[in-house]
Amino acid sequence: MGRAQNTLAFDAAKCDGCNKCLQACAQAKTGTDDIARARLQVLPAAGSFELALCLQVLPAAGSFELALCRQCGDPKCVSVCPAGALGKDADSGVIAWDGSKCVDCLLCTVGCAYAGIALDGATGHVAKCDLCDGTPACTAACPTGALSYVTTARIYNEVGDWEDLFAPGLAGCQGCNTELLMRHTLRRVGPDTVLATPPGCVPGMGSVGYNGLAGTKVPVFHPLLTNTAAMLTGIKRQYKRKGREITALAIAGDGGASDVGFQSLSGAAERGEQILFMVVDNEGYMNTGMQRSSCTPYGAWTSTTPVGRESKGKTQDAKNMPLLMVNHRCAYVATASTAYMEDLYAKLDKAIEASQTGFAYLHVYSPCTTGWRFPTEKNMEVARKAVETNFVMLWEYTPAQGLQLTRPLDDPQPVTEYLKVMGRFRHLTQEQVQHIQAKVEENRAFVEQMAQQR
Amino acid sequence: MSAVLEKPKQKYIVCEGNEAAALAVALARPDMVSVYPITPQSSLVEHVAKLIADGRMDAEIVDAEGEHSVLSVLHGAALAGGRTYTATCGPGLAFMFEPYFRTSGMRLPIVMSIVTRDGITPQSVWGGHQDAMTVREVGWVQIYCESVQEVLDTTIMAFKIAEHHDVMLPVNICLDGNYLSYGASRITLPEQDEVDAFMGVKDVNWHAALDPLRPMAVDPLTGGATGKGPATFVRYRKGQCRGMQNALRVIAEVHDEFAQRFGRHYAPLLEEYAMEDAEFALMTLGSMSGAAKDAVDEARAAGRKVGIIKLKTFSPFPVAALVSALANVKALGVVDRSVGFRWNCGPMYQETLGALYRLGRHVPSASFIGGLAGADITVEHFHRVIEQTEALLHGPAPTEPIWINEHD
Repeated sequence: MGRAQNTLAFDAAKCDGCNKCLQACAQAKTGTDDIARARLQVLPAAGSFELALCLQVLPAAGSFELALCRQCGDPKCVSVCPAGALGKDADSGVIAWDGSKCVDCLLCTVGCAYAGIALDGATGHVAKCDLCDGTPACTAACPTGALSYVTTARIYNEVGDWEDLFAPGLAGCQGCNTELLMRHTLRRVGPDTVLATPPGCVPGMGSVGYNGLAGTKVPVFHPLLTNTAAMLTGIKRQYKRKGREITALAIAGDGGASDVGFQSLSGAAERGEQILFMVVDNEGYMNTGMQRSSCTPYGAWTSTTPVGRESKGKTQDAKNMPLLMVNHRCAYVATASTAYMEDLYAKLDKAIEASQTGFAYLHVYSPCTTGWRFPTEKNMEVARKAVETNFVMLWEYTPAQGLQLTRPLDDPQPVTEYLKVMGRFRHLTQEQVQHIQAKVEENRAFVEQMAQQR
Repeated sequence: MSAVLEKPKQKYIVCEGNEAAALAVALARPDMVSVYPITPQSSLVEHVAKLIADGRMDAEIVDAEGEHSVLSVLHGAALAGGRTYTATCGPGLAFMFEPYFRTSGMRLPIVMSIVTRDGITPQSVWGGHQDAMTVREVGWVQIYCESVQEVLDTTIMAFKIAEHHDVMLPVNICLDGNYLSYGASRITLPEQDEVDAFMGVKDVNWHAALDPLRPMAVDPLTGGATGKGPATFVRYRKGQCRGMQNALRVIAEVHDEFAQRFGRHYAPLLEEYAMEDAEFALMTLGSMSGAAKDAVDEARAAGRKVGIIKLKTFSPFPVAALVSALANVKALGVVDRSVGFRWNCGPMYQETLGALYRLGRHVPSASFIGGLAGADITVEHFHRVIEQTEALLHGPAPTEPIWINEHD
């Protein structure tokens, strides 16, 4: 499987047009201070320069564009070159120019849509960015962080070769993040796994299968909604008895974990069973008809907390499942979000390791496009807004390390930024919004206090 | 506590029914037991836990947080290839009903003792068959014992019956709460190597397994009105019913094999006691049968032609064997230790009415209900049952059940 390569990233909002990157590039590549010969160019964005002139001010940050080689995956410069002077390196991804073959026809400069290759008048040949062999001079010189050298698709590079253990074409709702979560989780956990998916969206997608067809390549089953952790207890202990190591994995919904399945979950956690229990929290019984669970937040519409004259949505606050699991002193507890996959992966690694000696609990917030009422393409945005407003806090816990925030926010956005991106909160009164904001603050204070106790 | 009396080639001990069941479980070498002390608790699982703690039994023990999880743990262990055991009663059995129903459908050969209790409410912690009778229609094999020795021997046999490839169903060994569970007797303890040879090779998840070495989806969604759904569901259900009918044969075979190896014979499905020339008969179940036999012996001595049909296997209901046993009976009194709310009679009586229809001949009959919530059914009670059953030969049959302990 192919690899994604590192590249230069440009954040226009941080660029103030200081030109230090151009100076550094010119020095590195030509030994001169002639920034016109630099292999990247920072240019005023279309229209902004004229506006600045009219107002007699310097163009503001956010008004610049970058002309730079993107080291394209399917480079036009390479395909139009008649001499074979341009080629993409399979390992680094850098498109390199070979002067010994170049016929100076300049077709490449026409082919590139990014102005990433241009004639250097001083040499008479084209010149382009070569990423300075992995230590770009421009990014080191950038004082604002507008330019950075980034590792792209790190997760993909790491896991791309691992087998996807779910069947293709799971029948999830359009725009659902849970399929993403399931596929990433199972390919990380690997084939020596027994997977339990209690009734809910996860088996609803066909992960167990229908009428004789299996949905995964690992042994998989529906426990009852009530007994997931108990069944996995028996499986794991029996294999331990036989001297075989397997991962006992649950991918369960919030309803089965926090309501009717809580007893068996709590019991298994108390006994320290060697289980990896992942809860996909879409804050309700979304597969069953979008009913309220104890993880449904205050004020949210569900089909059993409807909006009417007497009440508007759920009238109680959500049960904080991950904190309850912390109080079981599990070997590992963490919250995660489908919008922060690297954070999720790091926690998954720790949870897998912890599950070989004790109970590991991973609580993943997974917005539900169907039940929360937002457009299918907005799932990542909703998931991210939850974290950016502290509606969802990302942290991890071990008995030895205590609770630690993995994405602390200096300046959280008001919770209305989260509430307004979906329909289930559309009806909220001002008082209800204030209640939710107060709960966010209360929860933040509580979690931060726990984090400071270490 | 048990006193061990060593004799050549035989080991006798004195113990209660709970300890006998625990010793049988140890002899059967399960991989996993899971326990929870519901109220009323019996000492059975405490004996099992002690055997494991003392190293006399090599098994995993999971102290779960409730019977629902107890049986669920065993589901997992069985699907991973383990031989499994637990015990419960009354409220614990009610609480585990959800996985209990599922056990037989997944064809998991789990063995579970029911130290039978009456059902609450009225509040009671005493013996009765109401708990086991209430779940008789869920696809478990249910076998009732009469004596402490029979508890031990049948508990060993239960694993072999459950795991037989033609059966593959869970088995309840029912021992009467109080009367058998805490009743102490002298019993013979089989030798471990003899039991090992009797049990044969363990193979409990050949049909459905959760094993990364042979990955499969266990119990995926079936049914519905379209595609392969209806036929798939019928195939599974029909197979379950077939397994129950096969159990009638296998229970008899295993009892034969046990008798040959250990020298103790039990009627596997039902026992016919003094039935050769009986004009009328009683039907009994469980520990009450001892008092019934004493009463019948006395009645016989007084010239009354009465016999007993004692059921051992209640589920599957041994219809053919019962029809055969009833061939010459002219009146029948059925004694239940529980009630059937729907027909206003005892559950065994209700089931027997179906067998009487198969008999194709009218037999006057009456339902007797006694021994509820720990009450005793004495020899004297059985004399009255004998009288009232004999009266059916000449008089009208009652339309109401006869409550044995009503005027105690």
